Amino acid sequence: MSQVLLAAEGLQRRLGGRRVLDGISLNLERGQGYVLSGDNGSGKSTLLRVLAGLEAADAGVLRFQGEQTQLPRYPDSWRPRAVYVHQHPYLFHTSVAGNIAYGLKARGEPRERWLHKVEEAMDWAGVREVAAVPPQKLSGGEKQRVAMARAKVLTPELLLLDEPTANLDAEGRRRVMDLLARLYAEGVSVLIACHDRELIELPGVQRLHLENGKLS
Amino acid sequence: MGLLEPTREAFALLFRGDPELLQIIWLSLWLSIAAIALIAPPAIALGVLLAKRRFPGQRTLVVLAQALLSFPTVVIGLVIYLLLSRRGPLGSFELLFSPTAIVIGYMVIAFPILVVFTVSAVQGADPRVFETARSLGASRMRAALTILWEVRFGITAAIVNAFGRVVSEVGCAIMVGGNIAGLTRNMPTAIALETSKGDFAQGIALGMVLMAIALGINVVMALLQGEGGLK
Ligand SMILES: Nc1ncnc2c1ncn2[C@@H]1O[C@H](COP(=O)(O)OP(=O)(O)O)[C@@H](O)[C@H]1O
Ligand SMILES: [Mg+2]
Repeated sequence: MSQVLLAAEGLQRRLGGRRVLDGISLNLERGQGYVLSGDNGSGKSTLLRVLAGLEAADAGVLRFQGEQTQLPRYPDSWRPRAVYVHQHPYLFHTSVAGNIAYGLKARGEPRERWLHKVEEAMDWAGVREVAAVPPQKLSGGEKQRVAMARAKVLTPELLLLDEPTANLDAEGRRRVMDLLARLYAEGVSVLIACHDRELIELPGVQRLHLENGKLS
Repeated sequence: MGLLEPTREAFALLFRGDPELLQIIWLSLWLSIAAIALIAPPAIALGVLLAKRRFPGQRTLVVLAQALLSFPTVVIGLVIYLLLSRRGPLGSFELLFSPTAIVIGYMVIAFPILVVFTVSAVQGADPRVFETARSLGASRMRAALTILWEVRFGITAAIVNAFGRVVSEVGCAIMVGGNIAGLTRNMPTAIALETSKGDFAQGIALGMVLMAIALGINVVMALLQGEGGLK
């Protein structure tokens, strides 16, 4: 059996009088891929955001690599290890490289160290051709790939991707899927929210379905 | 008397670079810039705090700042006068009728403008900015600075606006500065008081400079709005 990376127990979240997360427990294993399906409004984004510490849960316990927290408290040190990528990623008003370097700079890495990592990440995501384009002018697929590079460059243990292929054309989707497969092959755990069950095909991926606040 | 002669004289003063005129313009700009530079960091920091954090009294503070916006500057001048006057609580510093007193007045006038503009700029920022920054490991402080960067046009507009307000206001500068030549006489007080003594040429020349500054500020604001609209 693989090692549990992130365990959640009894996650509760009420929004607008509805139990969006109704006592959810799950174990995410190291190097494993997960596809989280569910209808629009079923709470996929909410679950991902709670796991990433961006949204408070009303109750629940998280364990990340043996360290435990009682929600809504969420340790700052976990965040860059479990990075969340928005469905429509926000790219900062700097260059593509500046975006990718953001987390490395926040971490206090010296320039000579992050410069090389940023170059590598740009190649990895295939965004070097658009490196000179202002990020706001990129296509949806290019933005998604820059956001994935920006997260991946931090070597997180878990990536939480919110509908990464939604609203992309066939070519954009193919390129994002290709990156997902490579992340996965490199041993990064990925949890991908997506409302179409068939969309995400990765070898050995586990499927989770969210309905009425429960996982199945 | 006709307007033609003083106007001609005003142009003459401007093009000749009349030392007294330049001194007044220089003092005006310098006092305004100093006041904005001193008050902008704390005012912007408070604006971010008021926009991002929920705490008791937060709404009240924002409403208070908005109310201060429409406070007559002459009343602000009066309050500072009373505080700084010989018998006032801060009288021992002997600041009344000094450039420092004007700078203090300008800081008080600029403060609510900077706070209110910053609050609205930060509240208008995309919520994904803060979330993205935090998820990538930024501290709250760094994430707040990232928001300021993303709304930098709004913040610049706040600063330009505050500068425009103080550089042209009369009431407070007369009250606490006293229009002392070479020390506290700035553009608006010189126009208001020297004109009443019959020196029209200087008033017209300074008026044209103030108009040019106001025009420049409007152009900058229009450009900033254009830039902000790009997002
Ligand atoms: N801030 C909020 N206030 C009230 N209801 C919300 C809020 N955010 C999300 N919701 C509701 O929570 C439910 C789950 O939303 P979400 O997690 O975005 O679903 P999904 O990602 O599966 O489409 C939806 O019904 C949505 O309307
Ligand atoms: Mg969603």
